[in-house]
Amino acid sequence: MTQPRPPMKPTRDPRVTLDDLVEVLLNKGAVLHLDLIVAVADIPLIGVSLRAAIAGMETMLEYGMLRQWDESTRAWAERSAGRRELELRAGETLVTRMSGGHLLEEGVYTGWRPGGVHLTDQRLVVLRRDPREVLFEAGVRDLRTVQLETETTVGGEQRTRLRVATLDGRTALLSAADPHGLHDALSSLNPALTALPPAPQGAPPGGLEGHLWYQEPRRGGPLWRGGKGRLGPTGLVWKSPLDARPGLVLVPEEILGARVEPGRSPGGDGQLVVVETASHGEVTLAAEEPRRWAAALDATAAPEGTAGTAHPPGTPGAVV
Amino acid sequence: MALTVDEKSLKHGVLALVLTLVEVIQEALERQALRRMEGGDLTEEELERLGDALLELDEALEEIKEDHGITTSVADLHRGLDEVVDDVVDKLVNPARWAEEAGR
Repeated sequence: MTQPRPPMKPTRDPRVTLDDLVEVLLNKGAVLHLDLIVAVADIPLIGVSLRAAIAGMETMLEYGMLRQWDESTRAWAERSAGRRELELRAGETLVTRMSGGHLLEEGVYTGWRPGGVHLTDQRLVVLRRDPREVLFEAGVRDLRTVQLETETTVGGEQRTRLRVATLDGRTALLSAADPHGLHDALSSLNPALTALPPAPQGAPPGGLEGHLWYQEPRRGGPLWRGGKGRLGPTGLVWKSPLDARPGLVLVPEEILGARVEPGRSPGGDGQLVVVETASHGEVTLAAEEPRRWAAALDATAAPEGTAGTAHPPGTPGAVV
Repeated sequence: MALTVDEKSLKHGVLALVLTLVEVIQEALERQALRRMEGGDLTEEELERLGDALLELDEALEEIKEDHGITTSVADLHRGLDEVVDDVVDKLVNPARWAEEAGR
């Protein structure tokens, strides 16, 4: 004999989630009809007549709503689907494709823009499909080096990125779903690209960012202006929040050295950062941590003898 | 039954809240996509494109969460919202609960 079981009780599904609720709402659909008149002293002044319906598209179609729009949207997508993919040139073959992104660096603005990373036997292209835009493109033959780089994100996690340098002096930082796979595919296309060892893991970024005063030379005499400075591998960029574009751009080749000097500083600590530049004399800055900025700027300075030689033609040394 | 949005900073909290709502929308889109796929109305090519796009969206969301280190807070917040919904639905279906609550 088995123990008699306790009588069964009806139960409700113990957990209802928000996702379930939304699903039920969309599957059933909801219709709202609202008529409203706003009257003052019994004289109607404003009328509202609202007809709204929300439902999953499948339910909408069941009730015969939006059918034509659904069809025309899909027909349009079908016609344009071919245009969205990367157009291959004659004789070009796709090696690999994965989701990824390109870091846009314009002045002090930096931001990741997601897109599909396409590697063909001729080109490396980051393409955003919607709205369509080529975010980055370089011929495989125009590439100089491709390096894996480890970056620490805002959340403190380690991410592997791909630093790409081209023969004409451009550099770009790409992300990819499988950075090692992309790196390997590139090195099998051109082994010389990846001859450099990957950047050391967890190395300090060497960059510095923070509030910085810039003594702007003006006709009526120099003027202290507050703004934000960023020092990275591409050099020093200073921008005032009031300006549309950076007030000072110094590429690494332009920086000869930096030192801390006593002087009247808007920071109030009596210390100035003086940067020696190749073609614009001395640039005076002030910072909350003058020694740190001076040391970092000095480390950025090009070694003796190479100053100016690696300077790509057409790049402005300083924009004031 | 309050939702605690506050993490260490307001920025994280707000971002987590936004991402949680985006996750809810994404979930709704995925379920509706499943219904459309089962509806048999879509062509082979459309099915593939839809699947790819949803997968890409999923990956992008995961990446954003990891980049900002808010994966756990988004999961917590999502669970919190689910609990609120569960509670409300429970009360709607079982009016007896109102009396229970009032008696407490």
